[in-house]
Amino acid sequence: MSEATAALQVIDLTKTFPGVKAIVGVSFTAHPGEVHTLLGENGAGKSTLLKTVFGVQRPDSGEIRVDGNVVEFARPSDALAAGIAMVHQELSLVPQMTAIQNVVLGTERNRGGIIDWKEARERATASLTRLRFDAPINIPVSQLSVAQQQLVELARALSTDARTIIMDEPTASLTTAESERLFEIIDDLRASGVAIIYVSHRLKEVLELSDRVTVLRDGQLVATLLRSEIQSEDDLVRLMVGRQLDAHGVGPGDTQPGEELFRIEHVTVPGVVDDVSLTVRRGEVVGLAGMVGAGRTELARAVFGADKRTSGDIWVHGKKVVIRRPLDAIRAGIALLTEDRKHQGLSLDMTTASNVTLMDPPGRRGFINRRVQRDVATAALKPLNTKMQVDRPVRTLSGGNQQKVVLARWLRQDSDVYIFDEPTRGIDVGAKGEIHAIMRNLADRGKAVLMISSDLPEVLAMADRVVIMRRGRVVAELDRDEADEETVVRHAAAE
Amino acid sequence: MNQPITLEASDEQAPVRDANRPPLDLRGLLGGAARQGSLLVVIAALIIGFGIARPFFLDGSNLMNVLLQAAVVGILALGQTYVLITGGIDLSIGSTVAVTAVAAGSFSHSMPAAVAIALALLVGALCGLVNGLLVTIAKITPFIVTLGTMGIYAGLALIIAGGQAVYGIPVAFENALAGRIAGVPIPVVLFIVLTIVSSLVLRYTVFGEYLIAIGGNSEVARLAGIQVGRHTATAYVVAGAAAGLAGGILTARLGAADPTLGADLLLTAIAATVIGGTKLEGGYGSMAGAAFGAVLIATLTAGLTSLNVQAFYQQVAVGAAIILALLIDRIAKSRKA
Repeated sequence: MSEATAALQVIDLTKTFPGVKAIVGVSFTAHPGEVHTLLGENGAGKSTLLKTVFGVQRPDSGEIRVDGNVVEFARPSDALAAGIAMVHQELSLVPQMTAIQNVVLGTERNRGGIIDWKEARERATASLTRLRFDAPINIPVSQLSVAQQQLVELARALSTDARTIIMDEPTASLTTAESERLFEIIDDLRASGVAIIYVSHRLKEVLELSDRVTVLRDGQLVATLLRSEIQSEDDLVRLMVGRQLDAHGVGPGDTQPGEELFRIEHVTVPGVVDDVSLTVRRGEVVGLAGMVGAGRTELARAVFGADKRTSGDIWVHGKKVVIRRPLDAIRAGIALLTEDRKHQGLSLDMTTASNVTLMDPPGRRGFINRRVQRDVATAALKPLNTKMQVDRPVRTLSGGNQQKVVLARWLRQDSDVYIFDEPTRGIDVGAKGEIHAIMRNLADRGKAVLMISSDLPEVLAMADRVVIMRRGRVVAELDRDEADEETVVRHAAAE
Repeated sequence: MNQPITLEASDEQAPVRDANRPPLDLRGLLGGAARQGSLLVVIAALIIGFGIARPFFLDGSNLMNVLLQAAVVGILALGQTYVLITGGIDLSIGSTVAVTAVAAGSFSHSMPAAVAIALALLVGALCGLVNGLLVTIAKITPFIVTLGTMGIYAGLALIIAGGQAVYGIPVAFENALAGRIAGVPIPVVLFIVLTIVSSLVLRYTVFGEYLIAIGGNSEVARLAGIQVGRHTATAYVVAGAAAGLAGGILTARLGAADPTLGADLLLTAIAATVIGGTKLEGGYGSMAGAAFGAVLIATLTAGLTSLNVQAFYQQVAVGAAIILALLIDRIAKSRKA
């Protein structure tokens, strides 16, 4: 761990700001040719650390060294110039531009203001080839899959000769096969001497991939371990949460599911969902498995009235309900907790109290009683084991707490049917267990729970029944005893 | 985090009240008091500055006159703020003023003042409704819709009026909208009342809350079951009705209905909202800010006039004020961060 060999070194970094958890005295070293994983629950300080390293925020104290030299980054372009690149969790490509345009964006060579497209093409192609990119390079990237777009972003990092690449949850929206490919590419990069700082909540892949793991908790460094010093996922979980916790938390329910509560029949959305029917019984958690792009989110949105469907009937409590818009679905007792909280779940500049009570602000005759609203929101959040000032904008909350605000809103509605779309995506282990407990609790209280999840261990651990979709169709339905990892993957991926 | 999670539907049945909380949230009512507070300081500084140069500027009657000048623009700015909060914009309010002024003028000849005023409001609301429906049902961008109706309404005003001003406005009509209550001009009274009411609407009604939610993120609002179209369209109706009131006031004050009113009012009204801190991208707006913005512009214009500054230079000053207001905002924000 000598300084000379470090590509990037963070020494005793501290960053505080009011209201948001920060980092205290964290040190961290990324070595060339190594994958160094940063692990911690939401709010542990990972984002703050990465933002500081990438020049988005300035540290209060401590130093950052690149190749042994102390550096100060005022903005991300300084970090890029120093050979540090970041692949963001939310991709930062210009959707209308091609892969080539995106790769060279901001670093185009030009003569008298005219872009040298030949050079651009060569440079972009070189980086893309290195990443085994096989999609068209001259169509808008919005037409590419998420995995392909990610490679474009990675290619951008390579084209600037980055020697340290930060990857923030790169597998969060990839399928298993796509993740495997990404791992191979990461192996290539590692072999060529790039230092990789990796952030992921998926412990299995952390163990597969990492040479070194640093665990943060409450803004402080808990430990930095070599891969050989880690025995199992449980070791990591213990370090992250500071207590013993089963990595997969809550299991399936003990009680027998009751009568049918929710039924959809022949739902079709042209091009994405093809004649899907399924049922969920009272007290049952049904897992909806499948690859990303199998049409599960689209199915949920169509059922909820968020998108148009050309056909399909929906029954709640054996009664057919007409759903043309989300309001109809909510009135029929259906709740949809969307995958993309920031863009579909929360109004970020509104307060927590307003967000929790968005559907029915407390008051009379069109007037809102702000005091009651605050109290109602506080009360709704209380059972979720979280404390926050409800009159501050949701934007200031951590990801885990934002998820709880969405949960609190829908739990207040006391709906009959709860559809969760990737409920634990991007959420740390502790919060994950809590959300699993909430879903199980809903089922135990006689609700029907439909859980869309790409996290296979989660589906197998939670679901009483697994429905598998592929290319817009339901291809299999498995009982809990029939469902194992291999069978589900076989159905989801078979061609 | 360490206790087991149990969810009971009854958890929120008995909210605990905190006796220490103030009954009325003034800060929230002003929409973030810092900006509005500094606006008041700027207005006061302007008044004192002009007063030093021209002592008559401090006369009660002169200050009342400034408020009277601010009233029409202010009422338009309040209406515009409803629309801006939803993330839209209404470029047609100036033309709506022209249409409603002409309508009010024509109606006033044959009808009691109250009926003519009500009809002017109705015509304004209808203009707003057309905008609202085109935005929400035809789903055309607000800028385009209202750019189109801006031209249409302006043309209609000229057609109805036969290309010239409508004269012979009855005294009863003039008194109803341009008279005084306890010495205060009625437009000023209306301006103040509407500012207070609009602030309350924004802060304490479901309608206001939903406009903010829609402007903040309309997809979030829709998925939460909010009737996005209905509320958005209503915002345009309110803006149109506000323009109708402004049209009526102008007709009463001028004693004639001028079909060429408009473009100037539109830009000044938008300037007032922007100075007041309303975000053009939606999701946030301040009614008090819009009102203060209108007063600031009126003070600046009146003050410069009192200093015998030519109208051309006044335009430059008002333009600079807009940019300065946002610049100060930006600097204050970066200081804080």
